[in-house]
Amino acid sequence: MDAYIVGGYRSAIGKAPRGSLRFTRPDDIAAAVIKRLLKDFPQIEKSEIDDIVVGNAFPEAESGMNMGRFLSLMTMESVDVPGSTVNRFCSSGIETIAIASSKITAGIADIIIAGGAESMSMINIGGWRLIPNPKIAKTNPNWFLNMGLTSEMVSREYKLSRQQLDEFAANSYQKAFNALDNGYFKEQIAPITIRENYYEDGKMKTKESIFDTDECPRRGTTLEGLAKLKPAFSLDGSSTPGNSSQMSDGAGFVLIVSEKTLKRYNLTPIARLVDYQVAGVDPYKMGVGPMKAIPKVLKHAGMNLNDIDLIELNEAFASQSLAVAQGLGINPDVLNVNGGAIALGHPLGATGGKLTVQLLAELKRRNKKYGMVTMCIGTGQGAAGIYEML
Amino acid sequence: MIRRIKKVAVLGSGVMGSGIACHFANIGLEVLLIDIVPRELSENEKAKNLTLQSKAVRNRIVNDSLAAALASKPSPIYSQAFAKRITTGNFDDDLAKIKESDWVIEVVIERLDIKQQVFEKVDKFRKLGSLITSNTSGISIEKMLENRSYDFQKHFCGTHFFNPPRYLQLFEIIPSSKTQPEVIEFLMDFSSRYLGKTPVIAKDTPAFIANRVGTFSIMHLLNNVDKYDLTISEIDKLTGPIIGRAKSATFRTADVVGLDTLVHVSDYIYQQTNDEAKEDFKIPTYLQKMLDNKWLGSKTKQGFFKRIDVDGEKKFLTIDFKTLEYKEDTRPKFSIFEKTKGIDDIRLRMPIFLNDKGKVGDFFRDSFYSLFQFASNRIPEITPDIYKVDDALNAGFGWKLGPFQSWDSVGVAQTVEAMNNANYKAAPWIYEMLAAGITTFYKVENGLKYCYDIESKSYKEIPGQAGRLSLEVLRKTNVLWENTDTSIFDLGDGVINVEFHTKMNTIGQGVLQGLNKAIDMAEADYKAVIISNEGDHFSAGANVGMIYMLAVEQEWEDLNLAVQWFQKTTMRMRYSSIPVIAAPHNMALGGGCEICMHSDKVIAHAETYMGLVEFGVGLIPGGGGTKEFALRLGDSLSTGDIRTNAFLNRYLSIGQAKVSSSAYEAFDLGYLRKGIDEVVVSRAHQLAYAKKAALQMVEKGYTQPAPRNDIKVLGLEVMGMVYAGSDGFKTGNYMSEHDGMIAEKLGSVMAGGDISQTLTEVSEQYLLDLERKAFMELCMQRKTLERINSLITKGKILRN
Repeated sequence: MDAYIVGGYRSAIGKAPRGSLRFTRPDDIAAAVIKRLLKDFPQIEKSEIDDIVVGNAFPEAESGMNMGRFLSLMTMESVDVPGSTVNRFCSSGIETIAIASSKITAGIADIIIAGGAESMSMINIGGWRLIPNPKIAKTNPNWFLNMGLTSEMVSREYKLSRQQLDEFAANSYQKAFNALDNGYFKEQIAPITIRENYYEDGKMKTKESIFDTDECPRRGTTLEGLAKLKPAFSLDGSSTPGNSSQMSDGAGFVLIVSEKTLKRYNLTPIARLVDYQVAGVDPYKMGVGPMKAIPKVLKHAGMNLNDIDLIELNEAFASQSLAVAQGLGINPDVLNVNGGAIALGHPLGATGGKLTVQLLAELKRRNKKYGMVTMCIGTGQGAAGIYEML
Repeated sequence: MIRRIKKVAVLGSGVMGSGIACHFANIGLEVLLIDIVPRELSENEKAKNLTLQSKAVRNRIVNDSLAAALASKPSPIYSQAFAKRITTGNFDDDLAKIKESDWVIEVVIERLDIKQQVFEKVDKFRKLGSLITSNTSGISIEKMLENRSYDFQKHFCGTHFFNPPRYLQLFEIIPSSKTQPEVIEFLMDFSSRYLGKTPVIAKDTPAFIANRVGTFSIMHLLNNVDKYDLTISEIDKLTGPIIGRAKSATFRTADVVGLDTLVHVSDYIYQQTNDEAKEDFKIPTYLQKMLDNKWLGSKTKQGFFKRIDVDGEKKFLTIDFKTLEYKEDTRPKFSIFEKTKGIDDIRLRMPIFLNDKGKVGDFFRDSFYSLFQFASNRIPEITPDIYKVDDALNAGFGWKLGPFQSWDSVGVAQTVEAMNNANYKAAPWIYEMLAAGITTFYKVENGLKYCYDIESKSYKEIPGQAGRLSLEVLRKTNVLWENTDTSIFDLGDGVINVEFHTKMNTIGQGVLQGLNKAIDMAEADYKAVIISNEGDHFSAGANVGMIYMLAVEQEWEDLNLAVQWFQKTTMRMRYSSIPVIAAPHNMALGGGCEICMHSDKVIAHAETYMGLVEFGVGLIPGGGGTKEFALRLGDSLSTGDIRTNAFLNRYLSIGQAKVSSSAYEAFDLGYLRKGIDEVVVSRAHQLAYAKKAALQMVEKGYTQPAPRNDIKVLGLEVMGMVYAGSDGFKTGNYMSEHDGMIAEKLGSVMAGGDISQTLTEVSEQYLLDLERKAFMELCMQRKTLERINSLITKGKILRN
């Protein structure tokens, strides 16, 4: 018994905290993506959907109240479909896909919508009320090290120069511009209608617009320009706003079904999740997480790195991306071929869903078989999932 | 009808115009700032497809100037939020809006024809009866009036701000023959009380008062520099703080101002005047050559000084007037400083300098004798009043002693004779004055200041003293008690004032004794206590020298008692039966800030730079400041607040040793309390206002506050963040290990210790004990002592 991905969409990714989606709540972004996804499957009876599972890294405030359940209420026109919210920080959006696939494979569900959603415009990293355990913070303060500093720790350990990081970043930008200019992302994006009420000249006014294009990559970004930026996290550090992932807002979801459902509705499978593994590393250098997760998932699936045609390695920071790519000997030609989070943005809990949608579309475009989505995770973890095109 | 100023229009947004606009915004007014429409589109505007009709383009010049001003340091605005009070516009589209303005100030380019064109338009739009003034620094006010309406002429005069308008005190008011007296009276009061300036009425003579006399002083020196056999560095040493002038002294100031500006003013005076000093305003050949070479000072990177970097270290070279080459000066050394060492009063130093037998004496004699000659001969030409010349130089050039005040300090009679022998000639009225038996220009009698008046040939009370209080004037008659570090003054009406007079007004045993004594006295026989002084700074903080000494000798018992006494004193300020008011100005740091924070009310001068900066010397505030931050945090919380963030804001004020850039910013940083503490813009009115505020509290019925046992602390809820945060700062190399230790102790005291239940109510004494314990523990750290030692011996903050 297997679980099949039959469709997937993502939102265009907005800049945070001042981008196009800054006033669009994460549940609204997610609902728009799910509605677009369901539109392709009019034959599926909504009440037969078993669950909506949403990944989110800071499930509080606008993302609180078990967003998954609200997404079902908002999109299903029925109270029948349940919903849940899953958190494994930056891998939340693929964790949900793994959970959904496992449930279906185990025979306890047939149709699940899984992915992730995040608004970094509305909820900052760490959440609104960060209260570390004082006992642990005293004995192991570096378990709470902020993400930027973990990036510096990776640069220090792997002796990565500022120049190397900036070159990696510039390359990510180049690939992203190329993808955008060629319209590679167009079909995978669910357009979102943004309605904004704003105050001007003593009155409330309203404007409406459609958001359907990734807005993070800043045109005119050059290696020279990147080299001028000041370190953002450490006085003498090398990670800058230019070679780190961009804060952003967005969502990405896939529809996963059982073989039974596939046949019943005569659906065409796109891909399946072959394997998914998470591994733990030192929290203070959480960026190296994939270095442990990738070999783990390959071994478990009985595959080699060479078998993988395309890899989406979330570019939390140029430092950790480089450390992972060099450490594992990843072929640059298969790595983040359309640019990564440094150029396109990293909406934390949404990223796993977003990268999955992006990867499957690119595998299809290139007519390739195996792809991988992998990322580092705050407090020291790495996740990696392998997809097979069908 | 009482004249009210609600809206002000400033025409011209250059450095002065923007600065003036900001200062009006500082005092709460709505400001319209206008400049010309650009003739061409910039590249950027072209790229954005804008046209010359776009608003963004039409207001580009004014918007760019204002933005540059707001970003400049020192800031022209008390708080960036105040900039919202300024609206920008352009001459073509928005000039009609001046019909809403109560005061229109012209600050356009210094050309009579252009000013006249602007005034012609202003005349069309302005509201009848509104004020219209020009900020010219020298152009004839009378000529600007030609062809203007009668109402315009009646309400027009010159109002000359000095750059930067927020910081320089002088405000010259230049009436024309047509200006209504009411306008002048109004401006005198408004500029002083509202704008915090020192108004000086000047006649419509070239460059008015301050620039005429100040420029003379510089130009006489520049024209005679080859006579003195002194280097540039030596002259700057002799003309700086040791004679009560700015640290940048003569040449450095000229470089900062710009040699072109200096030459422009000097040349103008040379063209426009014809008196005994005319030749002194001539531009010396070397200076003209420097100008030709575009060596204009700081803005062209070289003038009298040139900065070079040698192996990453900056060095200043000075110019050789003969060869016009830059060379390195030796560090100036003068034996005469042996004689003036320990004499803090400049007035007592002056005679020593002028009586010196060597080249230093020669230099001072020429400088001051020529100044005395020039200044006395300008009375009554530029003003009939002697004190106005001194006021102008005090406030406009930052001279602690103006020409006549300097002259008083060296003895008028003796000097006149010496001047005569050396071929300098005092004005005839000086001889008349001396012949009448009057030997000083100033005197103080019955708490009032008098100045010699040449017309009546007698002393006249200096006007404008009503409604003000000055400790200096009261010193002879109203001191009730004193010790080496403080004096207690009787301000009348039952209010007494404690004045500190230690070096930088630091706080040690003597100051604590003075504070306790004043409260004792007031509780027994008076109504209220004010803490204020007229030193350069309110207080630079606790005397760390004493802490260092006790710590090095490991006199822990004594140190603990000393800290405890400080705490007891600040607590006494709050828990006494009389109101205690602090009236700080300029720096109020560390212990000085803690004293303000424990007063019943603070009446702060707008230019008050407050901060708990103990972190820099490896300590936390130990005079109740840390406790007070915990108390204010607890009091500020309401249900549902994100307490950790509220904690963090206050924690970082101390943790990053934040100093406010104005009294207004001190509210944001938590040093002043909204609704209780107040800001006064006029330093001259501050003490009188503080006294009124004190009496008002008495009138209302002041009672001693009950002790606090209900201070809500956050305990363990925030400690995780304190530990994790300090580790992050250390990892990012923003903090040293030692900083981390101080940060954790600070957090622990502010959290009220490791208490399990958040919002537990604790007593003030409990927090004071925690604070003192942490303070003592830090004093026992070698690295803290290294920091204190660095501050004492090098005046530098050590990061170790």
